[in-house]
Amino acid sequence: MEILYNIITATVISGSLSIILVVAEYFFANYGDCKITVNDKKELVVKGGGNLLNALAENKIFIPSACGGRGSCGFCKVKALDGAGPVLPTEKPYLSAKELNNNVRLSCQIKVRQDIKIEIPEELFNIKKFKAKVIEVIDYTYDIKGITFQLLDPDTVDFKAGQYMQLETPKYEKSKQVISRAYSISSIPDNKNALQFIIRRVPDGLCTTWVHDYLKMGDIVNLVGPFGDFYIRDTDTDIIYVAGGSGKAPIKSMVEHAAKYQNPRKMTYFFGARAMKDLYLTEEFQEYEKTMPDFTYVPVLSSPDPEDDWKGKTGFIPPYFKDYIRDPLKTEAYLCGSPGMIAAVEKELTKLGVPNDKIYFDSF
Amino acid sequence: MKLGPEEKRIMDKMQPGILTVDGFLGNDNRNLHDIIQEDAEKVEALGYTAEDIGKRMQYLTERSKEAYEEPILIDQKYLVQQDIWRGKVVCPFPHKGLYVKADIHLKNIENGIEISWTPLNIHFIEEHGFFEGKGSKHRLDPETLIKAIY
Repeated sequence: MEILYNIITATVISGSLSIILVVAEYFFANYGDCKITVNDKKELVVKGGGNLLNALAENKIFIPSACGGRGSCGFCKVKALDGAGPVLPTEKPYLSAKELNNNVRLSCQIKVRQDIKIEIPEELFNIKKFKAKVIEVIDYTYDIKGITFQLLDPDTVDFKAGQYMQLETPKYEKSKQVISRAYSISSIPDNKNALQFIIRRVPDGLCTTWVHDYLKMGDIVNLVGPFGDFYIRDTDTDIIYVAGGSGKAPIKSMVEHAAKYQNPRKMTYFFGARAMKDLYLTEEFQEYEKTMPDFTYVPVLSSPDPEDDWKGKTGFIPPYFKDYIRDPLKTEAYLCGSPGMIAAVEKELTKLGVPNDKIYFDSF
Repeated sequence: MKLGPEEKRIMDKMQPGILTVDGFLGNDNRNLHDIIQEDAEKVEALGYTAEDIGKRMQYLTERSKEAYEEPILIDQKYLVQQDIWRGKVVCPFPHKGLYVKADIHLKNIENGIEISWTPLNIHFIEEHGFFEGKGSKHRLDPETLIKAIY
């Protein structure tokens, strides 16, 4: 009997405490409206209590984030000048000593509980969230697809060839949450109402598994962007492009754009692949050799299959640079691929005399 | 042993569909500390430490980068090749940790053992003594791993 009495007492006490907590949350954790001042020129009034990343997104200011605000990518940095509270242990690992000194914070980890003052790069004001529909799916290779999305709302976008967007994929059988991943735009900026992306399957990857196994025509997704500073500089130097796999995406956009406007700069595009089965869009790029003023496409296979009967270049790409670079000091390079590939290419280009500040890259 | 809140948070992140399609626990229903403990005992019995094993895997991985995703014979004994993928994966343990998505394939040409790992596997083993749960796609059985890389 005494045991039963104790159980009932404990239940009543814990139940009462829960009710008190709920009531307290309602009355005392109601932060009311809070003001977010951005770059001293834009003031947003938001309902307090949520995180800064979401509060900004609700007001159409999109800070880059690859993890959707779970505090695991470290991309959503802003400079918090006032009202952001102390730095949390969850964000410290993503911030350097210099960033901490400069009040840089992860916006997904900042709770909006009072007025906040922040600074963000000006270009982020141009970033938008688009609702888009899948209108074309092309199998480029056994593990690379080209996906085209028609923009619905807003229905047009301005971007520079080489920039990227974040694709938000829905929850599906193999992903318990909405996920967001960055992909380079492979279509040209002139196509303002449709964007193409080239997406290679990543084993065990949540987003690419959806793209390759679940995405279908007519599916609706969200795209956020454009982001990035990987775009052709407006100079008259020669250009070397180097890419492999899905790294072809931003270079495709750059070359197609250059072709459309008959850019007279000397351009050489090295595309690295393992075997013939990994090559794609070859005929299209060879066609540009005929239609562009000075463009050369150089596919290089590292280990062609015997049945490929490959007569082109083999091995690694860097040894071929010297045959195509006229004046290293008047050459820019645009690279897209894995960190290892970029490091190797950068090393060789620097050795040949291409200025380091003329080598631009988009690393996976 | 009862699951602590920190361990539960880590195990939640290790489930399929959170950080990767398949997660890191496979069909292993044990608690994280039990999984780690059993493998630690195996590793100790074989005369190694998880840290040693992680460093050895890191050495072979770094050497294989010299061949830029092509096969390379290392120390006349290991045929190693990397596949590098776009993106990075987060470590589910509570600290900073983004790891390149890659598969490193090794064949020990002396004993014929073939094994594959990821950069996250190396970190799991070296820093957390975690070889992944039984049935997990990237589970590395300590005994097989040691035979392959030593």
